[in-house]
Amino acid sequence: MKRLLGKRAFVTGGRQGIGRAIVEAFLAEGAEVETCGRGAAPEDLPCPWHSLDVSDGTAVEAVAEAFGEIDILVNNAGIQVEKTVIESTDADWDLVVGTNARGVFNSCRAFLPRMRRGGSIVNLGSISGQLADPSMALYCASKAFVHALTRSIAVDHGPDIRCNAICPGWIETGMLEAGFALAKDPARAMEDARARHATGRFGRPEDIAAMAVFLASDEAAFATGQLFTIDGGLTAASPLNPGLF
Amino acid sequence: MRLEGKIAFVTGGRGGIGRAVVARFLREGAVVYAADLSEAGSLDRHDADGSRFLRLDVSDEAECIAAMAQVRAESGHLDILVNAAGIEIEKTIEETSLDEWNRSFAVNVTGTFLTSKHALPLLRAAAAEGPSASIVNFGSYDGFIADPGLASYCATKGAVHALTRAMACDHGPEGIRVNAICPGYIDTPMLQSFFTGEGSGAGGKSIGDLQQAVRDVHPLRSYGTPEDIANLVTWLASDEARYASGQLWVLDGGLSAQVQQMKV
Repeated sequence: MKRLLGKRAFVTGGRQGIGRAIVEAFLAEGAEVETCGRGAAPEDLPCPWHSLDVSDGTAVEAVAEAFGEIDILVNNAGIQVEKTVIESTDADWDLVVGTNARGVFNSCRAFLPRMRRGGSIVNLGSISGQLADPSMALYCASKAFVHALTRSIAVDHGPDIRCNAICPGWIETGMLEAGFALAKDPARAMEDARARHATGRFGRPEDIAAMAVFLASDEAAFATGQLFTIDGGLTAASPLNPGLF
Repeated sequence: MRLEGKIAFVTGGRGGIGRAVVARFLREGAVVYAADLSEAGSLDRHDADGSRFLRLDVSDEAECIAAMAQVRAESGHLDILVNAAGIEIEKTIEETSLDEWNRSFAVNVTGTFLTSKHALPLLRAAAAEGPSASIVNFGSYDGFIADPGLASYCATKGAVHALTRAMACDHGPEGIRVNAICPGYIDTPMLQSFFTGEGSGAGGKSIGDLQQAVRDVHPLRSYGTPEDIANLVTWLASDEARYASGQLWVLDGGLSAQVQQMKV
């Protein structure tokens, strides 16, 4: 039995990485899915595409209107700029906060009135919204915004709508590689980081998609307002490398 | 002086952190009972410091009752109780014997329960006179996130955190504040044992290298001193903290504020 049969889902940022894995998992579970991103549709995309920058509220509203009734909204689109506060420019602020914070707000505001009873919003927060990664100041702060907005939406729009956030840890995506590129010795840094995971590996986009399916499905009917961390045990451990002991 | 005239009782009062708390309380003008298993506690020796020593095993209810009876007879009430006595078994659950598990809970959790339980009438008496009475428990950052090979210790500290909130909830209306301090890496005999102990598996690394590696992973690039902890205990014990209750106060040099350190 497919778990999302008959449900209409919209996933932001479905071109690649976690968003793409969520699109594919939703399709496999029987949902009707559309996705969006900046620029043209990727060639092999198995669902309709909207060329959309989520930081543009008017454009988001137009897409929501075209999409119509909705059951599942996944706010996955996100941008990471690897800088400290003093290195960050106004343009960095507009880019990161515009996409990660305002973008989530834009799409929630546009899609919520069109959401059917029992609808589910799944936001992508981050472990970095709770604990800081070095040189990710605006990114960390923007994800904390997502966590708090998640709780507000759950409180304001229950019982008809549920809203949760997934907080991924280190997932094998382009973003992860960009993070390691900051290290003096990326290969060693990657080994060091891997050793800190109780699971002995980094996450895969499918690991996050699996939680997104659960939260989108009626199985999660009592789950709302929560942050679900999927990080291979990384933040359950002290930041000391267990390899030292 | 911030604790002038106050009566304080510190368990583990001759150990690493407890001893620093006792010394600071004395400087701040308190009358201090230092309770521990022996005069020298976990350190090699002890020089007279003006504290009143009480031999006490916090896991023994009769001894806790007797200790509080002595405080009542001598001082009439108690303003501050600091539950700093604690032990750490450096093992995974598979390596931990039932006796070790029970001993961890007996000292770290039951000890906090017993001293608090039997100090309550004395704390109530103090709260009736002054702004509030204060209990300061010792949790740990390990009660939130795990260090490897410290399973029973992590579990007991998580229990202390929950007990702290429960006590704050139950006894706040009586004017008794209850908080826990959650230290990170503090330079104490317990930490040195963690570095050198069988479970630490320094794996060819010298202790010095290991200590440096641990310092380097802290945003502040050092581990803390018992005096750092005593500073916060003093504040929580003082009337300045009269609105602070039911909270877990992490003091760890920023260690647990971060996800990950890329040092290479």
